[in-house]
Amino acid sequence: MNRREFLRIAAASGAAVAGGISNGALFGSYDQLESHARLAVVQNGLPAAMVQKAIEALGGIGRFVKRGDVVVVKPNIGWDRVPEQAATTNPEVVAEIVRLCLHAGASKVKVFDRTCNEPRRCYHRSQIEQLARQAGAEVSHIYEQKFKTAAIPNGQQLKSWPFYADALEADVYINVPIAKHHSLSRLTLGLKNTMGIIGGNRGQIHNHFDQKIVDLNTVIRPQLTIIDAVRILVNNGPQGGNLNDVKETKTIIASIDPVAADAYAATLFGLRPTELSFLVEAQKRGLGSFDFNQMKIEKIDLKA
Amino acid sequence: MRSSPLIGIATFLATKILISTLIVGLVILGLSLLIGRYFCGWICPLGTVIDLSDRLHQKFLRGKPNTIRPLRAWKYSILIVILIAALFSTQVIWFFDPIVIITRSMTAAVYPLIAFLLESGLKLLLSVGILQDQLFSLYDLFRQRILPINPIFFQQSMTFAVIFIGILLLGLLARRFWCRYLCPLGALFGSFATLRFTQGIAVASDKCIDCGKCQRICKMDAINADYRSHARSECIECMSCVAVCPTSAISYQLRPKFAPQRIDISRRRFVYSSASGLIALGLIKTGFKNPIATGQVVRPPGALPEPEFLNRCVRCQECVKICSTTGACLQPGLLESGWEGLWTPLVNARHGYCEYNCNLCGKVCPTGAIHPLELSQKQQLRMGTAYFDKSRCIPWYRGEDCLVCEEHCPLPDKAIKFDIREARRPDGTVAVVKFPYVDEKLCIGCGICVTKCPVPGPGGLFLTNAHQQRWGQEAEF
Ligand code: SF4
Ligand code: SF4
Repeated sequence: MNRREFLRIAAASGAAVAGGISNGALFGSYDQLESHARLAVVQNGLPAAMVQKAIEALGGIGRFVKRGDVVVVKPNIGWDRVPEQAATTNPEVVAEIVRLCLHAGASKVKVFDRTCNEPRRCYHRSQIEQLARQAGAEVSHIYEQKFKTAAIPNGQQLKSWPFYADALEADVYINVPIAKHHSLSRLTLGLKNTMGIIGGNRGQIHNHFDQKIVDLNTVIRPQLTIIDAVRILVNNGPQGGNLNDVKETKTIIASIDPVAADAYAATLFGLRPTELSFLVEAQKRGLGSFDFNQMKIEKIDLKA
Repeated sequence: MRSSPLIGIATFLATKILISTLIVGLVILGLSLLIGRYFCGWICPLGTVIDLSDRLHQKFLRGKPNTIRPLRAWKYSILIVILIAALFSTQVIWFFDPIVIITRSMTAAVYPLIAFLLESGLKLLLSVGILQDQLFSLYDLFRQRILPINPIFFQQSMTFAVIFIGILLLGLLARRFWCRYLCPLGALFGSFATLRFTQGIAVASDKCIDCGKCQRICKMDAINADYRSHARSECIECMSCVAVCPTSAISYQLRPKFAPQRIDISRRRFVYSSASGLIALGLIKTGFKNPIATGQVVRPPGALPEPEFLNRCVRCQECVKICSTTGACLQPGLLESGWEGLWTPLVNARHGYCEYNCNLCGKVCPTGAIHPLELSQKQQLRMGTAYFDKSRCIPWYRGEDCLVCEEHCPLPDKAIKFDIREARRPDGTVAVVKFPYVDEKLCIGCGICVTKCPVPGPGGLFLTNAHQQRWGQEAEF
């Protein structure tokens, strides 16, 4: 083996390793994790209990949070609405996740969201501020100064966008959306929840939405998505306001695959994943999969 | 604000309605028949601030107690103009009343300034890049206590600040310049003080050694050249003279004594002031027949019908300030609603929107110009109606989806609806697009759609006062 050959092999294997790493990061290395479910659905329990069970089914919180980690738990606090109106993530769900992370040894759990209504009102009325703080989280409002423009190398519509530094820098990012109706995208779930950590003029995401939302999600990649479907908003979303539009579904969906989680949540609304064009786009671009036949799913009914 | 009798009287004259403010004001005013211009010396917050700044000015003036006595009459002229205008249903008291001036300066100039400086200081420190974490927690602390979450902006902080600083700088010409020569509230108290039934400051002639210390210390230049008498209309009962007199010749006595003095205003001046008041009034009134017919004047929720609103609103900016920390839609207007509407609160929907769950402006309005509303009332009250500008709205002119407006509409049954139709795009392709429109029957004019519309510049919608519903009235359809 001469020098040139050696270099060629070294370069090739280097590339292979690098590729492997990025693939692993991209798909959450499912292969090694087959012993656990990729998607867990828990129903008919109290919010906290459902969260615990769901995470357990995925292999326990310790699989995601290591001692000393800085964790971001990102709920939807977008609106000045009470939890019963199902426009913001269930505060008990958020609090339970915070508690579990701290229990697993997280050095800090941060909770924040860039709201649509006045932030103080949203944080307060959603009860996320109080309950997450009680659980030990650091709940803070957004600082304009903390938005950093990040490149989106795989972006189709967006080549760069300002992201919240705390989200980019977190060791573990847990996405905790609430499942709701939305007129433009039909539903707002995990992928769209990412809009809460971006800066700039968010309204501009709305046209060519499918591509843009996937673009953003190639940058922020939650290790864990936990969808709050304790109550879902089936109409007049994403704010609601009419209790007749709220349906009690008493469900928590958790997954290491953001696309699978969203796709499963869609079924609660009677929609097939293929009917949500942003999910089709996300699967096509390799963010995850909604091929339920190809993944291990664990369904738990706490009533039974 | 409720404590200023002038506001009560002027509002009464303008609206011809008895309001509680008037009663409180009259009691406060009546007291000066006993204890003179006590209000100016002991209560008026603007007077207090002027005293503080005068003390600074003294450093430069060093013992030169200026006097410009002929100017004393001015304050009466101003008072006359105000009262005449009020009689003809035009309120101008908000421009001159000291209580309002100080409130306005604090809410719309000093507070935003302090917030801005604190905020900028923190940002500067943050940009240095060390101690970030500590600085952010400090920042958080500030935001919990004093700072608004988002920086606040007032369209006219500068105007208010210039007037306020101007009043303070007048102190360079003479101490308490404003109170001596300009303040209409002072003039009102002063006129009552000349009719007082009690003695007040009294000088024992025999004990007085003519040292003149009392005259030099008197902020109001109330003491006459003989050192033994004073102008009752000027004395603000501060008692500095009592304290300074080396022989204790001066005392303060409440024993009955009725000795009315002439007020410093000539008959000719009285006539001139009245006439100029009438002329100014006429000119103001002939500006616009109906200034709000342009549709651009959108008032806060619960605002009284326009004429009453103008008479009541004292431009204190309390509503603007409270709103800046919530919806941020209210801003002091300039001449959008005519001269009569100067500095009245207007909704600037592109700047901010009315929070669906907020009813604070009516709660803080001290004069009832904005009626306090229950949240449920407020959520149904129409401030106006939004309309699409189809030449700017993305789906309409570009044939692409958007619906940001619809997403933000807070009504339980959205006031923005949409049709799904095929659209031909400018490049000739055809696509299925959601076309939004406003349901006039539902829209309450909160303006959030206008604020959040991502189209740069004026946006794809605009807010008007069409179908507005003023307090006590039905919506205009
Ligand atoms: S009710 Fe609306 S206009 Fe009034 S303070 Fe609140 S946000 Fe501002
Ligand atoms: S509407 Fe009321 S609170 Fe607002 S400036 Fe006028 S008087 Fe003050």
